[in-house]
Amino acid sequence: MDILLMLVWIVILFVVVMLHVAYATYFERKIIGHMQVRLGPMRIGWHGLLQPIADGIKSFFKEDIIPENADRPTFLAAPIICLVAMMTSLAVLPFARGWVLADIDIGLLFIFAMSSLASYGVVLAGWSSNSKYSFLGGMRSMAQVISYEISMGLSLVGVMLMAGSLNLSAIVEAQGDRFLGMYLMPQCIGFFVFFISMLAETNRVPFDLPEAETELVSGYSTEYSGMRYAIFFMAEYIGMMVMAAIATICFLGGWNGPFAVPFFPPLWFVLKIYLFMFVFIWIRATLPRYRYDQLMGLGWKVLIPLALANIVFTACMKAILT
Amino acid sequence: MQIQYKPRRSWLGTIFQTEILQGMGLTLRRLFSRPITRQYPDERPQIRPGFRGQHALVRDPATGDCKCIGCMRCAMVCPSRCIRIRSHKDKEPGSRRVIDCYRIEALRCVYCGYCEEVCPVNAIVLTEVYEYSRYERPSLYFTREQLLANWDRFVAQMDKPVKEYVNPFWRPRGQAERNLTGPKRLPVPPEWSGEQQVVGRKWRQHLPPEQS
Repeated sequence: MDILLMLVWIVILFVVVMLHVAYATYFERKIIGHMQVRLGPMRIGWHGLLQPIADGIKSFFKEDIIPENADRPTFLAAPIICLVAMMTSLAVLPFARGWVLADIDIGLLFIFAMSSLASYGVVLAGWSSNSKYSFLGGMRSMAQVISYEISMGLSLVGVMLMAGSLNLSAIVEAQGDRFLGMYLMPQCIGFFVFFISMLAETNRVPFDLPEAETELVSGYSTEYSGMRYAIFFMAEYIGMMVMAAIATICFLGGWNGPFAVPFFPPLWFVLKIYLFMFVFIWIRATLPRYRYDQLMGLGWKVLIPLALANIVFTACMKAILT
Repeated sequence: MQIQYKPRRSWLGTIFQTEILQGMGLTLRRLFSRPITRQYPDERPQIRPGFRGQHALVRDPATGDCKCIGCMRCAMVCPSRCIRIRSHKDKEPGSRRVIDCYRIEALRCVYCGYCEEVCPVNAIVLTEVYEYSRYERPSLYFTREQLLANWDRFVAQMDKPVKEYVNPFWRPRGQAERNLTGPKRLPVPPEWSGEQQVVGRKWRQHLPPEQS
């Protein structure tokens, strides 16, 4: 019976997240459109509200082209790896007190593991397509993920030190429900490093080098079409959502808000995620792309030393204060 | 020439990335500004006099045929050489030149309007019709009959009588009355003659800013 209930919860989470992914694309197109003094999608439904559904139907019925010289099994598996890894990390996110599918003690580590596994999908997609653009995209993704994974992990060590746990629910509980309890203030350097690494980890502008459409056609997903391409997109948006959720949990106090909401406890959590999604889109509408060597320089010469300094500082403060 | 360099960024500006924040502020302000998109098939642009659209040969109400006299000026002035005219003249004295063939390749035309400006008898005109895309090329090589039909279609959708229609290019700007040929001395409103003649972008100055 427990398993059945769990399955029902999984299905509900899956459906809700998929709807969110669909409408995140709409949200993004609308906001970027208005920031560029355009209108964005307007034709399908009222103000283009049905556009994501039309996009979904279209990509579902498109021909699935597999290049002749592609490494077939790897080519087929790559988008699935991406999507599965991203969806799996949804399981450990606490949406509210007790609203979590798998309340495991290594939650944060699990998320790191899954997000680096998702980049395997990207690398394999680039390698198996047998096309130079895809290959370059995959290579860049590999280098970018390796360098930014480190700084992201290090930036969260401060949070782990302060909370004394890797369990995501415990991290939220440790912050308490007061405004000043949020780790945003004591861990502002950690938050800065995490935020930049988060952008790089999800391949968003200004770090979207793996799919730099101005130079690499579409990067690792150049040879993909139809549903497989859509799966990559879904994985990217779920990745954005997971990263926004981690930022919310570790720095903004998770589901805690100014007052408790009676019927829908995750409201504050969801609102904070939307805030982060908006900032993602806002940055995309504003900033140009980094040059490749600048990206590497920023990662290794600025963010990692900053994160290390933050760890030392946090550890010292904790030792002094206790 | 004075070169204006950007002031050096202070270390505070580097740490807090003030330039990025300025850019983000700009995009946020634009988020709440009015979009300038025109939803084309629903909202149509306002076409002003002097718009250079589909080509037409003006049908002369007296003869029912085109006004062209075969002087070849339009064919000579055309920068893209898309006008082709063949004409002949009978041997007996006093006979008029007869146009055998008048063709415009609309696909090569650059819509400069020189042909209608140079025409001494206002025979050719670029009408205000702009929706005439086709799926194949041959129907965009306009023959004389097609050009006359274009004029008829344009007249049919015009909301004022044909006699009052004057294309601004028929009276070139800054030309004295005596320099113009007879048919080009058309009665026009005062802001059309002389330097104030309204052609193209000059219309913006006549309109309130929200319409331009």
